[in-house]
Amino acid sequence: MRAVRLVLLAAGAALCWVMVDGATRLNAVTGFALLSPLEAWFHYAVALLGISVGLFVWDRRPDSRAGVLMTAGSFAYVLGELNVVFPLSALAVTAGLATMEIGSAIFGHLVLSYPSGRLTSRLERGFVLTAYAFTIVYSIPFLLFDDPRAPHDPDVWECPFCAVPYTHVGWHNLSGTRHTLDEVMFVLVVLFLVLLVRKLVRAAPGARRVVLPLAAVTFLLGTRFAVQVGLFLHGSSTNFWTSPAMFWSETIGVLALSLVLSAGLLWGGAGRGAVADLVVELERTPPGSVRDALARTLGDPSLELALWLPERASYVDREGRPFELPASGAGRAVTVLGAAEAPVAALVHDPVLLERRALLAAAGAAARLALENERLQAELRAQLAELRASRVRIVAAGDEERRRLERDLHDGAQQRLLGLGLALQLARAQLGQEANGAAEILSEADAELRAALDELRELAHGIHPAVLTEQGLGAALETLAERSPVPVTLVEMPEERLPATAEAAAYFLVSEALANVVKYARASRVRVSVLRLHGRVLVEVEDDGVGGADPSRGSGLRGLSDRVQALDGRLELESPAGCGTRVHAEIPCG
Amino acid sequence: MATTVVVVDDHPSFRGFARRLLQAAGFSVVDEAEDGASALAAVQEHRPDVVLLDVLLPDTTGFELADRFAEGPHGPVVVLTSSRSATDFGGSLARSSARGFIAKSDLTGAAFAALVGDPA
Repeated sequence: MRAVRLVLLAAGAALCWVMVDGATRLNAVTGFALLSPLEAWFHYAVALLGISVGLFVWDRRPDSRAGVLMTAGSFAYVLGELNVVFPLSALAVTAGLATMEIGSAIFGHLVLSYPSGRLTSRLERGFVLTAYAFTIVYSIPFLLFDDPRAPHDPDVWECPFCAVPYTHVGWHNLSGTRHTLDEVMFVLVVLFLVLLVRKLVRAAPGARRVVLPLAAVTFLLGTRFAVQVGLFLHGSSTNFWTSPAMFWSETIGVLALSLVLSAGLLWGGAGRGAVADLVVELERTPPGSVRDALARTLGDPSLELALWLPERASYVDREGRPFELPASGAGRAVTVLGAAEAPVAALVHDPVLLERRALLAAAGAAARLALENERLQAELRAQLAELRASRVRIVAAGDEERRRLERDLHDGAQQRLLGLGLALQLARAQLGQEANGAAEILSEADAELRAALDELRELAHGIHPAVLTEQGLGAALETLAERSPVPVTLVEMPEERLPATAEAAAYFLVSEALANVVKYARASRVRVSVLRLHGRVLVEVEDDGVGGADPSRGSGLRGLSDRVQALDGRLELESPAGCGTRVHAEIPCG
Repeated sequence: MATTVVVVDDHPSFRGFARRLLQAAGFSVVDEAEDGASALAAVQEHRPDVVLLDVLLPDTTGFELADRFAEGPHGPVVVLTSSRSATDFGGSLARSSARGFIAKSDLTGAAFAALVGDPA
């Protein structure tokens, strides 16, 4: 394919040389100066630039048809002037007339399909097909009836052999047909401008950024062209099609297209330079910021990074949370880095980056080591999250088990003993005064039973207080406060129910702290506060006792500390000698 | 006419013993109920003087039910009972519209009469 492009480049250079030569000779022979030799040089140098840029883009972006279209458009635009530069050659005139408007259609096709070179909507496809068809239709009356000698003096130079025999109708008799064709052209140009604006409006932000320069330049040139055609049709300007202004419009148009396409290519070139920067940057990038570096390199701030965990066979984000790749066609594109069967990561990005697969692949390859690293970290985080979740589940399961035990005691043994007590009372009532000895035994049995019931109740309460399950933390703490031998002030209580694990942790924390106050602190009062703040429960138990509590003493507080930490909370103990003790805990509660 | 009582508790054995205990003390137990819904129906039907009401029921709490009874003009006197002790319920007991609370282990004819008055 490269050989084809080299041949085309050589052919383009030769063609442009022939055109410059022809234009110079035409000036010398006819004295008719449509273009001065200098202008002709410039004009065809620009055409050759267009051909070269087209071939270059074609070479560097084989995915895109933009290069092919640019090459074809530039060629067509030179060929379309053959009839003007070589009016004496029937072959040149025929070729020129046949191709004189195809260049414009190809450039329109290029702009509407930029950057991929593929038209995406049916409307655009329909328009481009219509435009191509029109350029052929437009040429037909010229091919059949135009006489290159007509505008000039037929005596000076003659057409020696015409490809198509001229009829006797004469061009001037066909002015009505020509006017209609020009009107259709005007409509097509306006339609093109509308489609161009529509393309810009509908483009995704990333694509719009890429398309905008070309679209803006084309829009300006297209508008100017439309105005000129409009004025011509209106009769305000004459001899428009062969005027120098027309040549200059075309020159400027091809020059602008060449520059914008080259800039687009440079944007790609800069991307490759950016990959080199990326490699350097990744060397000193802190863990977890590979995404940011990639986003900068690829110029896509919306870039998302999904890391592949082989043992889970799923994607996660860098925190280790599950990551769902978007479905195709959701306005996002996905590029998987690494082998298809063993991916390293996936990039979720603006679809416009698909035009730059080479850059994506290069950046992906450059970031591969850092991504491996990031993946290991994500894996670790995922495991840590799993561990945390399982700790919370274990605590919750323990709480649930305690609740069930309490419930079973309450519904089972306790109820049977209560029934037994009532039965004893009934028996005592039935006995009346008759059997004193038996009544005494019954009284003793009753007393035993009461003691057993009390103990059972305490046991059940200690396992998991029913008031906590049924009425929540506030009521349960009120009960604790009432039972405490040291006066307890409840300063602040959450009104609403909290998650069960948080309520249980807070309750047992206060319960254990109060037990410690009673046992060791020799305090005269205790202050308890529970505050819900920013998704955490803050629990504080403060006494005015002797202080000097040792956190490592006894298993009670340590067990509580484990429980709080299992819920991802933390527990602090401040107990300076002589200044009371303050237990402070923070428990997450969603 | 003896004071009429409806006994509300989800444990049938307790209801049975409580009925016999209260009847032995001279009260007339006109019906039993095992949950809040049937308790409301029984009270509607029998218009008892007193309801002996378990605090923890399958479908509601004795506190809520007592408040429902208290809404009407001639609602029954409510005596709450539970296998748990009074302190298990914190301030809820004090705020309740019930006449009083007797722990199940302390339930006797005399204790009941002390709250609601003699049966006859």
